[in-house]
Amino acid sequence: MRARRMAVTTVIALVLASIPLATSAVHALPTASPAAADPAPASQVPYTRPVDMAPDEEAIGEGYVTPEVQRPLPRSVWWQIFDLALLAAALGGAAWIVLSRRSRAAALALTVGCLAYFGFFREGCVCPIGSIQNVTTAIVDPNYAVPVYVIATFILPLAAALLFGRVFCSGVCALGAIQELVLLKPIEVPRRLDRFLASFRWIYLAVAIGFVILPAASRDFVICRFDPFVGFFRFTGTFHMLFLGGAFLVLGIFVGRPYCRYLCPYGALLSAFSRYAWKSVSITPDRELDCGLCSKACPYGAIEEMRAVRTSCLSCARCYGSCPVHRPAEPAGAQPRGSAAA
Amino acid sequence: MSDRYTRRDVLEISARGVALVGLGGLGSLLAVKAHGDDAWWIDPGKCVNSRLGALGVEACQSCATECVLPLSAVRAVNDFASCGRCYICPAYFDIHSAVGPDGLPSKTLCPRDAIKREPIGWIDPDDPANNYYEYTIDESLCNGCGLCVMGCKEPAGLGSIKLEVRHDVCLACNRCSISTACPEDAYERLPTT
Repeated sequence: MRARRMAVTTVIALVLASIPLATSAVHALPTASPAAADPAPASQVPYTRPVDMAPDEEAIGEGYVTPEVQRPLPRSVWWQIFDLALLAAALGGAAWIVLSRRSRAAALALTVGCLAYFGFFREGCVCPIGSIQNVTTAIVDPNYAVPVYVIATFILPLAAALLFGRVFCSGVCALGAIQELVLLKPIEVPRRLDRFLASFRWIYLAVAIGFVILPAASRDFVICRFDPFVGFFRFTGTFHMLFLGGAFLVLGIFVGRPYCRYLCPYGALLSAFSRYAWKSVSITPDRELDCGLCSKACPYGAIEEMRAVRTSCLSCARCYGSCPVHRPAEPAGAQPRGSAAA
Repeated sequence: MSDRYTRRDVLEISARGVALVGLGGLGSLLAVKAHGDDAWWIDPGKCVNSRLGALGVEACQSCATECVLPLSAVRAVNDFASCGRCYICPAYFDIHSAVGPDGLPSKTLCPRDAIKREPIGWIDPDDPANNYYEYTIDESLCNGCGLCVMGCKEPAGLGSIKLEVRHDVCLACNRCSISTACPEDAYERLPTT
């Protein structure tokens, strides 16, 4: 038994040992060729590199020319111009829909369109909310510069707010748009709680700026890190991002646009700028009736004393539906109360 | 609205004017020093796949797994001028795999078959081992996993393959998730000139 096992082991060892001899015999090569192959079996002989430097073109022969290293094309500037043009058009369109056309259906269509393009197609980047950080860094750090594209993304919605109020929030902002679409059963947040929570936007703005004015090594873009909805736009993300996003959406079914009203740092800037807006939402087209029918229509608590408050009005166009003057064809009182979505 | 401007109106108009001028001024100030674009860049001196000189060390595949895009924006790039054009390329073949009957290792390294191998120059009609071979990476297949980069390192290879960020594909996120995960902190955000 033992003898047979020994014999079998010896035969196997001999066979294995003969492999390198056999292969090197088969592959005897002329010494002139530097591209010598030394095909070593897996773990027996370590791989040795046949050349010590790259061959030059003459050695390769036949008029060979070293190809160019593959390089990407530069990022197309046309996409950036197109995006900016689309942003400007969407802002203008929102202003027209909310201030002139006064139609909730059109506002909703714009919301869906901007969510599809700026949210899911462009995957949420570059967004004006995040651009606060880039612009601040560019102001503070002499070695840091941002492309004109990012500067324009920061300035356009603010300029629109100075002219027409918070039309960016109306549905051009993809983060706002996704919250608009889940708002199904709005509850009214008590006025004082609403004001208190709204102050968190300024705190978040200060925190974001604070993290960004640090030196480059410790700089952190917290708005991007804690962006609740970008995980949905990209269909991928860390657990905490997706959980945060999901939590905001669930909350958003009942509380109107919680991120926009209580956390968005850009919303803080927009509310400051829209205070001086040239044209803003007036619920009746020509004069206020002071009937108060609109006061329950706003899910964002932006109607105070029967007037739209510019700094908190998100230009969603829901209030017009409750105003009896707005639709003179139907008698007052028979007007259906504006429902939350469309 | 009455024809006369109240004090409040004047204040509001001036505040609006100041804000508009301020925005315009800020925009111009930043635009003066603006450059075309910036993008993420991998420092090959820090990238572990390009740096360590030992065979058998596992390739760090963060560049392929961490990018938020479905196909990562990182690609392996072969610097042809410094490539050895070897018959058995340690980046193309898995040199630890068993040798096949033709003398070549039986397995290739790239999990997505993105490296193409073509003989170049003067071709020996009798002996394929006597030729030079060009190794080109198909960028539509490469996902930047770095296995080939690891294979091409010293002493097995000449180190001509490196990982690069493709900035026409890269979203240039403020917080690059690969950059956060890179064990060697090899990512930097630089202007693209």
